[in-house]
Amino acid sequence: MGAGDSLENYETLLEDHLEESLEELEKTEYSTDLGIMMAADARRVSSGEMSSDEYWGKYDDVAVSEFGEDYEQTPNPAVDRVQQTIREETAETLSCDACSLPDVAEDVDEEPSEDDHIPQWGMVIDLEKCVGCESCTTACKAENRTPPGVSYNVVMEQEHGVFPNVTRTHMPRPCLQCQNPPCVQVCPITATYKMENGITTIDYDRCFGCRYCLVACPYGARYFDFGEDYQDEFDEEGKVEVPEYGNERTFEDTTGQAMKCNYCHHRLERGEEPACVETCIGDARYMGDLADPESEVSEMASDQRAFRLKEEQGTDPNMYYLK
Amino acid sequence: MSTRSYNFGFQDSRVRVGWYAILAVLLVVGLYGLYVRLTTGLLETNLTAEVPWGVWIAFYIYFVGLSAGAFLVSAMANVLGMRSLHAIERDALFVAIISMIVALLFVQSDLGRIDRSFAPLLHRQGMSVLSWEVHAYAVYIGVLTGELYFSMRKDLVTVSETGSGIRAKLAGLLTLGRTDVSEEAVATDRKWLKRLGILGIPLAIFFVHGGTGLLFAVNHSISYWHTGVFPVIFIISAVVSGLGLVVALYVARSKFFGDHLSRELLAGLGKLLGAFILIDIGLKALDTLVGLYGMSPAKVETWYLIVFGENAWAFWLMVIFAWLIPLAILSRKRWRRSPRMMVVAGLSVVFGVIGTRFVIVVPALLVPDMDGMPAGVYAGTAEEWILSVGFIALGALIYTVGAELLPLKPLEDDH
Repeated sequence: MGAGDSLENYETLLEDHLEESLEELEKTEYSTDLGIMMAADARRVSSGEMSSDEYWGKYDDVAVSEFGEDYEQTPNPAVDRVQQTIREETAETLSCDACSLPDVAEDVDEEPSEDDHIPQWGMVIDLEKCVGCESCTTACKAENRTPPGVSYNVVMEQEHGVFPNVTRTHMPRPCLQCQNPPCVQVCPITATYKMENGITTIDYDRCFGCRYCLVACPYGARYFDFGEDYQDEFDEEGKVEVPEYGNERTFEDTTGQAMKCNYCHHRLERGEEPACVETCIGDARYMGDLADPESEVSEMASDQRAFRLKEEQGTDPNMYYLK
Repeated sequence: MSTRSYNFGFQDSRVRVGWYAILAVLLVVGLYGLYVRLTTGLLETNLTAEVPWGVWIAFYIYFVGLSAGAFLVSAMANVLGMRSLHAIERDALFVAIISMIVALLFVQSDLGRIDRSFAPLLHRQGMSVLSWEVHAYAVYIGVLTGELYFSMRKDLVTVSETGSGIRAKLAGLLTLGRTDVSEEAVATDRKWLKRLGILGIPLAIFFVHGGTGLLFAVNHSISYWHTGVFPVIFIISAVVSGLGLVVALYVARSKFFGDHLSRELLAGLGKLLGAFILIDIGLKALDTLVGLYGMSPAKVETWYLIVFGENAWAFWLMVIFAWLIPLAILSRKRWRRSPRMMVVAGLSVVFGVIGTRFVIVVPALLVPDMDGMPAGVYAGTAEEWILSVGFIALGALIYTVGAELLPLKPLEDDH
């Protein structure tokens, strides 16, 4: 297959997406032919027809002359700490920066600037607004696809008074994200830890399932994957990905390990609220930064109606309720 | 000396065959439990998020206690110089080692990820009692093994030189090449035995068993455990169970292996056992009164569940077998000197303390963390019990084989 073939193929491919695509590509200062050739060969590398070493050997010189300093200072994608596809000797000969992306990222992250504000995620639940519909519980199950018997959020029902003077309160309980979490204190292997943003999470690559944290939590907010799942209720068995675990994890990966609410960390990373907060029909849940005194949650937390659960335990939860 | 035949096994081969047959049956049953555990994980247990610890953790603390108790009996012999106890010193050490192995098998089976069992040795966490415990257990097993070696070495040399067959071969191997039996060498053994004993006593009391009690007591979340005297009670009931087992084995050895039995020693052990049972009851009563006097709902509810709940069998097992029966037997001087009565007392204690351990683990976890949360329900499944039977049978098998092959009873009675 020559470069001509590739060009034609790519033209068709490109036309599917964008009319007048070649004209569009010509607008850049770099060579269109080179770009298409590199793209065609890259496909050969991924299909196994060409090795990564051959590829970079072929294009290294051209890339230097075409992209200059930009190329020389960019890490090569074939160089990686875990899955390096190129031989070390070849990597050494390349003109581009022969270190991996994570290495570069580490250097960049090393010194956060002074004004980087680290939030302390906290929650306020207004019990007067809570109607006990449990949509938070449902949203949590749906979002995190927790196994049977595991529900990061529950709503505790409490009845007060003697008939006919009775009232009922509903108290939703996700993880309270304590400042002094007993679960972290007892874990023998630091498989559970508190992140800088105030959220306590679990490392599923480390937890060995002793369940000491379940015992230690005064709020019953920790759960365990005993191995049950809903897999047979899905069409594609074993294929369901759970966002909480990251993209590569499935149900099996958490079997035999402790589980807990982490305020839908995957959603927070995307700038979204936890599923329970977003779904609350009465707008009873508020999520925000307790380290920011101006935030809505900080203001509510200092309200007269605010209280916290089991303060005598010294856990200092980042979770306030409004009476 | 040389005229002795070093036959320290069963005297009656029918008893031997019968005993091994029983163990074989129990081990086969246990193997099935192991198969289920390894293939289905924790699915076949009744453990839940509310009651995350059950039968296996109860047996784990039971065997840690048995080990610490048996060790303290041996330590009294060589550190406090209670010479009359030398006859049972090695037996106690050997039982302590086996109990510890069985305890670790139990706790390992309880892990969700058995493949990560060694994680605590790779990732330490200084704030975690459990992290400290794992290391204490490892050092403790080392100390016990070292002590048994120094205590037994001289006799191992004798057996390897004058005995025959597998016993002599095994004894030769276990001397680790130190075959000097001069007075000087034996004195060195005694010196190291004493040193290890001195290291072992605080290790067993405060770290191994006190620490296991601490593992529970530090949990502010479970008020029944969260008292200062809780780890102390752990230690006392450990000594009770350890003494009970040592007494039972002492009698059993004389019955089946034909070892010499000293009625004075038996009566002495009986008095010690009685005293520790009384301390155990006393401390538990104090702890209970402090708890109930405060009328804290969680404590009152836990006590209600302990005495009247579905797991009340454990409490009554403790009261009847660990307290009442042995105390009744030990209260009479004539019975304290009777091997038959003392073996009943010893076995009764060993059986009853299983109840003590269940009372600790299960009922306290049944109480909901907060009003409005589901109450726990727990009873061990057949699978949980079957695996437990297997591990216990394995411990008994290791003991029996060891007792048949090793000079656990000093060849020369030095008292």
